[in-house]
Amino acid sequence: MGKVFVAGVGMTKVGRIFNKGYKELAMEAVDKALNDAGIAVSEVDYLVVSSAFSDSLLNQVDISSILAQEMGIDVPAISVNTGESSGVAALEAALNAVRAGKSNTALIIGVEKLSEFPSAKINSSFSHVLDYEIEGIRGIAPINYAALLLKEYMKRYGVKRDDIFQWAIEMHKRAEKNPYAYLRFALDLDKARNSQVISSPLTLYDVAPLADGAAAAVLVNEDLQTTIRTQPVEIVATASATAPPIYLRNDMLDMLATKKALERLRTTVKFKMGKDIALQVHDSFSIYGFLALEELGVCGRGEGVKAIGDLQYLNVGGGLKARGHPVGASSLYALDETVLLMRDSFSGLRYDGDAALIHSISGAENNAWLALLKR
Amino acid sequence: MDRPEGKTGIIGWGVYIPRYRLKASDIAKLWGFDPTTPSSLGIHEKAVAAVDEDSITMGWYAASSAIKRAGIKPEKIEAVFVGSESKPYAVKPSGTVIGDALGVSRKRLTTDLEFACRAGSEAVRLVVSLVSSGTIGYGLAIGSDTAQANPGDVLEFTASSGAAAFVIGPAEDAAARFEAVVTYVTDTPDFWRREGSKYPMHGEGFTGEPAYFHHITSSVNLLMEETGLRPEDFDYAVFHQPNGKYPLRVASKLGIPKEKVLPGLVTPWIGNTYNASALIGLSKVLEEAKPGQRILVAPFGSGAGSDAMSLIVTDKASARVNEAPTVEDFLSRKTYIDYAEYAKSRHIIWRNWG
Amino acid sequence: MAGSFEEVRIMKNSISIFWRKRSDFYKIRLTKCLECGKVSFPSRTKCPYCGSKNVRIVEASGKGTLVNYTVSYYRTEDSDELQPRIIGLVKLDEGVIIPAEIVDVDPDSLRKGLRVEAVLRRLKSDDPFGLIYYGLKFSPVLK
Ligand SMILES: [Zn+2]
Repeated sequence: MGKVFVAGVGMTKVGRIFNKGYKELAMEAVDKALNDAGIAVSEVDYLVVSSAFSDSLLNQVDISSILAQEMGIDVPAISVNTGESSGVAALEAALNAVRAGKSNTALIIGVEKLSEFPSAKINSSFSHVLDYEIEGIRGIAPINYAALLLKEYMKRYGVKRDDIFQWAIEMHKRAEKNPYAYLRFALDLDKARNSQVISSPLTLYDVAPLADGAAAAVLVNEDLQTTIRTQPVEIVATASATAPPIYLRNDMLDMLATKKALERLRTTVKFKMGKDIALQVHDSFSIYGFLALEELGVCGRGEGVKAIGDLQYLNVGGGLKARGHPVGASSLYALDETVLLMRDSFSGLRYDGDAALIHSISGAENNAWLALLKR
Repeated sequence: MDRPEGKTGIIGWGVYIPRYRLKASDIAKLWGFDPTTPSSLGIHEKAVAAVDEDSITMGWYAASSAIKRAGIKPEKIEAVFVGSESKPYAVKPSGTVIGDALGVSRKRLTTDLEFACRAGSEAVRLVVSLVSSGTIGYGLAIGSDTAQANPGDVLEFTASSGAAAFVIGPAEDAAARFEAVVTYVTDTPDFWRREGSKYPMHGEGFTGEPAYFHHITSSVNLLMEETGLRPEDFDYAVFHQPNGKYPLRVASKLGIPKEKVLPGLVTPWIGNTYNASALIGLSKVLEEAKPGQRILVAPFGSGAGSDAMSLIVTDKASARVNEAPTVEDFLSRKTYIDYAEYAKSRHIIWRNWG
Repeated sequence: MAGSFEEVRIMKNSISIFWRKRSDFYKIRLTKCLECGKVSFPSRTKCPYCGSKNVRIVEASGKGTLVNYTVSYYRTEDSDELQPRIIGLVKLDEGVIIPAEIVDVDPDSLRKGLRVEAVLRRLKSDDPFGLIYYGLKFSPVLK
C-alpha cells in the first residue's frame, strides 16, 4: 500500500460569519488548500465533503455534488456524516480512495454553517446526534449526558468544579494565538466560575461554541508528493469504532469507542503515547477532553487536570472549546492545525516529535475516530 | 331488592391530584376581590396541573391506581369511558390514549363523555349497566379535568385539576357494592362553554337554586323513593363540590348532618376538580369506611343533571387502600406556586408558537 | 415555501414515528437477551450488547431510584414551557439504568437515591393545532 500525504491545508476563521454562506466558506478554504499545495483545481480527482447538518440546517442534501458544481469539477464526490466526528471519517474516505488508486489528488472539505437559525433550532438539530427515537424524543440532549459524566467524574476522582475550568482556561490560551479561532480571548477562573449554568454543574465555559467554519485538505499519493512545494505530512492510519449508548455502559466514564479505536490503530501502526505527543482531542464539553486524555493513556484516570498544564502540544488551535466547533469541519481544523505544526510551526509553536494523533467523537461517544500523522 | 346495579360494584378506585397549589388569596389579590371572597366560597387553595399534564395524563394515573387496587390484569378491562369538560382535543378520544397506555384490552368500548361536571358519573352508570347486563366483565370509568376559568372570573377561585377512576366489575369482588343508582336530568342552562371558546360562562346565582340544588335534591329524593332508604340510613354523603359551601347546604336541605359530608369534602383544599370532584370525595370515603357502611354519592353536572348512588362498603375495601396512593397522600403532597406559574402551566399565557 | 413553513410549525413531529413506538413511550420495555443474558433499554429486535436476535421484550414495573441528574437550562425547540428540565439516570428496580426526564420535583430536593416512578406526561406538543405526544417521565413516588 502506497503512502498518502497531506499536500495542502486551508481554513477560514471560525465564528458567526453572517456575510458568507457555506459555499463561500468552503471555497475560501479550498482555494487556500490548493494554493498551499500548489495544485490547480483541475488536478483534483476525488472530493469528500464532511458536513453534519447540511440537510437539517442548510436544506442541502448531497452537498458534495453541489460543491463540486461550485468548483467546476466533475469528479467522484461523496458526503460523509458520522456526526461530530465527520471530519476524520472524511479523511479516512479520502485516504482509502488514494490508497486504492481511485484517486491521486483527493480534496477534503469540512464545512458547517450553524449561525443561520435561532439557537433553539440549532440546539435541536445538534441533539439529533443522539438516538432520536430513544433519546431525542425524550428531550435528552448531548449536553445533559456531559453534565452527568462531569458529576460522576468529579465525585469519583475528587476533582473540584474549579479544576474542570482549567480545560477552558488552557484552551483559551491556545486560541489567543490561533488566527482562525473563534474565542480569541484569555479566560480566567473568576470569569469561568461566574458563567451561566447550562446543565448543572456544567456552565457556559465547559461547552464548545457551535460556529461557522470551513477547513480543507488535499491528499496526494507517494508519486505526487515529490512534486508539491510543502513539507509532506503523512497520514499513516485511521481507525474508528462505535459503542453502545452511555446508559448501557457498565461504567459511563469509560470511552468505549475511543478505547476500541485505539486498539485498532495500534494493530496497524506503532507509536508512543505520552505527554509530549502532538494531540488533538475532542472537547465538545471539557469533560470529554479530560476523559479522552485518560482513555488514550496520556495520563492516569482522574489525572487529566494535573496533566493538562504540561501538555504543550495538546489542541494547539484551542480545541473545540476555544477555536470553536463548526461540527463537520472541526476535526479537519484539527488536521490542518496539526499539519501546519508538523511542517514548520503553528501559533508560534515548534514541534519536534515525529507523530501526531487526532481524536474525534460524536454525541455521548457514540463513535470515535482516530488519525495518526507522521512527518 | 333485585335492581340490576346490585350485581356490580367498585373493584378498585384511584385518584390523582397534581402537586401544585395556588392560594385563593393570591387570586383575590391579583383581581381585586374582597379578601373575604375565598372564605365565602369555602376555598383555601386549588390544585394546579403542571404544564405537561392534562386530563389524559391525570386520568391515566388515577386509572392505573384503580387497576392496582382492583388487582386485575388490565387486559381484563373491556370499556374505558372518560368524562371530562377539558379534553385536550375537541376531536380525538382521550380513552384511546389512556387505554393503550394502561395496556387495556383492545377489544374494548371507548369513548369520551361530556356533561359538564357529571360526565364521569355518567361513565360510572354506563359501566355499571354494561357489567350488570353481562356485556363486559370489567370496565373503567374515569372523571378527569384541568378545569379552565376566565382569568378574574369568580370561577377562577375554584376551577382546578384532578382525576378519579373506578374499575367496576362483579359485586362478589367489590370493595363497595352498588345498591341503587338513579339519574335526574332537565334542560337547565346554568353553565356552558361555546365551541371555540376557551373559557366557560355561567349564570352566577342561577347555577345554585334551579341547577345544583334542584337537581341534587331531585336525584337523591328519587333514590330514596325507589329504594325506601332514608337519610339516616347513610353513613356518608358525598355531593358534587363546586365550592366548599354548596355540599353542606344541599345536605342540610336533605336532612343529612354535616358530619356525614365532611369526610368526603375535598374542595376547600384542592378546588373543584369538575368531573373528579364528587368521585375524589367518594374515593376518600372508601379509604376510611368500614364494611357494611352505606355511602350516598350525588354528582352534579351543569346543563343539568345529577346521579344519586347508594353504595355499600364490603370487607374487601380496607385491604386495597394501601395498594396505591390515597387521597390523603395527594392532599398532603403539595408545592405552592404563584399566579404567574399557574398562568404559565394552565396556558393562560402563551408564547408565540413555532 | 411559506406553505411548507406553516405546516412545519403546526406538525413538527412525526405522527407515524410516535405511533409505531407508542408501546415504548407508554411502558418501560426492556430487551432481555436469551443469548448473553443482559437486559437493556428500550425494546429492540437485537441485543445491543451481543447482536443476538434471540431476545424477549419484558415490561418493567416503572419504579426505580435516581442515580444521577442534571438541571438543564438548555433550550431546544420543544423546551419552551418546561424549563428548567431535569434529566436523570434512573436505575429501574429490574436493575437496568435508563435516561429519563424527572418531573414534579423541586431541584433543591433532588438527591441520589430518590425513589421515582414512571408517570404519563406530555412528551411533546405541536401547539397549537397539531398532535400532543404522550410518554413516560419519572416523578418522586407518592407511596
Ligand atoms: Zn446479548
